[in-house]
Amino acid sequence: MDLLIQIIFGLLAALIIGAAMMVVTVRNIIHSALWLITSFFGVAALYLVLEAEFIAVVQVLVYVGAIAILILFAIMLTRHISSEGERLLTSRWWLTAIVALGLFGAVLLPTLAGQTWNIPLPTGPAGTPAPLSGVEELGREFVGQFLLQFEVAGILLTVALIGAIVIAFEERSRRRRVLTLSEEYTLRQRQQATAAKQAPVATADVAD
Amino acid sequence: MHDVVNQLINTTFGWGWPGWLISLISYLLIATLLFLIAPFQMLFLTYFERRAIARMQDRVGPNRVGPEGIFQPMADGVKMFTKEDIVPDSADKWIHLIAPCIVVAPTMFMFAVVPWGPGMVPVDLNIGLLFFFAISSVSAIGLMMAGWASNNKFALIGAMRAVAQMVSYEIPAVLSLLAIVLITGSLSIVDLINYQGGLFISTMDVASVPDFGLGWFIFTPVGFLAFIAFFIAALAEGERTPFDIPEADSEIVAGYMTEYSGMKFGLFYLAQYVLNFLLCAMTAIIFFGGWQGPGVGWLYSLAITPANPEGGWIFNVLSGALGVFYFLAKTYIFFFVMVWVRGAYARLRIDQLMDFGWKFLIPLTLVNIFGATIWVGLTRWGAAEGLAFVEGWSPIMRWAIAFVVTLALNLGTYLYLARIYAESQSERARMDDEVLERLTNVA
Repeated sequence: MDLLIQIIFGLLAALIIGAAMMVVTVRNIIHSALWLITSFFGVAALYLVLEAEFIAVVQVLVYVGAIAILILFAIMLTRHISSEGERLLTSRWWLTAIVALGLFGAVLLPTLAGQTWNIPLPTGPAGTPAPLSGVEELGREFVGQFLLQFEVAGILLTVALIGAIVIAFEERSRRRRVLTLSEEYTLRQRQQATAAKQAPVATADVAD
Repeated sequence: MHDVVNQLINTTFGWGWPGWLISLISYLLIATLLFLIAPFQMLFLTYFERRAIARMQDRVGPNRVGPEGIFQPMADGVKMFTKEDIVPDSADKWIHLIAPCIVVAPTMFMFAVVPWGPGMVPVDLNIGLLFFFAISSVSAIGLMMAGWASNNKFALIGAMRAVAQMVSYEIPAVLSLLAIVLITGSLSIVDLINYQGGLFISTMDVASVPDFGLGWFIFTPVGFLAFIAFFIAALAEGERTPFDIPEADSEIVAGYMTEYSGMKFGLFYLAQYVLNFLLCAMTAIIFFGGWQGPGVGWLYSLAITPANPEGGWIFNVLSGALGVFYFLAKTYIFFFVMVWVRGAYARLRIDQLMDFGWKFLIPLTLVNIFGATIWVGLTRWGAAEGLAFVEGWSPIMRWAIAFVVTLALNLGTYLYLARIYAESQSERARMDDEVLERLTNVA
């Protein structure tokens, strides 16, 4: 069973890393967004291997169902950047490489080196183990131990939402919009009505 | 299924196969069954819809192939398979090919958590409801891929509309379910159905109620409001008529499916009808008790179950048949309502669609969640949770008070929101009028 799990893990890891590589190497930006979605799915499957069903489903719901779709939306609404032949590397790619390598060395390497791997399985009563990351536990922690972080994240999201509304808001009376067919019809009727109203006056003036 | 296969192989034939092989076989059997059921549902539903809508429009509908035209869907299927598959020259070939698969796959996935009868659920996930909605949001990506890869303006506009609509109507759907989840205290669909036993009052809230399988959520004010909101959102999610702007044939040909032909087009159709079936099934399960109905609970209590190993197998069959009958009857009634709505209402404009979703349904469902918490507090909490004053009331009394309070809350909110919404709509019309006025003066 352990071997099976390890094979599955290896395949999933290969999928995630491969998809992530494709995200940054593919030239077409839509393709790269789709590879990103593949990578998100791989991560969700990895959570399932860890028996964290809730987190796996939330990963699909939030990352695939919301964030990926917003990314696709944003790309498609700005169509000219989706053309092929864009340069993948900027002229200062070496600076980016140094920053990335530095961060990797400073943050990730000590964590990886300092981690005790292969923790022995907890010896407990046999049978189905209690779910570690169930909905109830997460909910309790969010309103208990991690309340501050939870609230800060909430405020951040609210601020982002209000900011988006402020940017996108347009006063209605100033909006220039295309008239619908029925509105055009009313407009023409009104124009004719005003024209008809002015016409008798004009003829009366001439008569005088 | 696992038990039946185990019984057959290890006891009847005495082969002594290991447990994992039996699990694998039983899951494969279930998956095959479901993959067979899904297309047949689609075939039946297309025929049903065409006949029903024909009646409403004073026509006959398909009646040539087979008796009363019941083989018409088969003929259509054959036609789809034999048609030439045309891919536009400037399309993105791979994405154009993958998109229909990505649209169909989630709808098949969703069958995994739908219970058909007592003890008849493919997988009882403890987060089944969430799984259902998480997976259903994946098909939006397929729509977007289809719209983009076709390299066609109509297809892209259709995909944009579809995704905007799906994203905004997912929120009221999930919020209305949140109220139900608060009351049941579980995300498992099986728990949700088991909760709805009893007679107009759930057996979980009031202990001494006889189990007639009628304790549906629709009979509570919270459940009723959630049902209305959820069904409207389901219409939008399944792209049914008042919300069918993504494939409005009089405006944008066929939306994201414009550049598809043959079986790829058929796959989009399959996905759509299977999704509609599943949404109707979910409505039946969440608000109308799924397979719950008079007699099922009693029959199932006599059947062979883990809790009752000495039951009679005939009761398994009977309770299963009755449960599936109730479940499918409810589901088809909702599908009929969908067809009915299609026959009765015109298509919404996109701004009306967005206004209705964001300014009416979402506030309504948010207040409904508040109502659900009041319900839980009044029917189940006690001194330990800080509600000492409810301790002295009898269970029926608590239930009745919760009913009245939530009814008043929901009704008041509905009336208030309806007034505000009507005001904002008339204000908008006035603004539009002003713009017109100005244009007239300038002209």
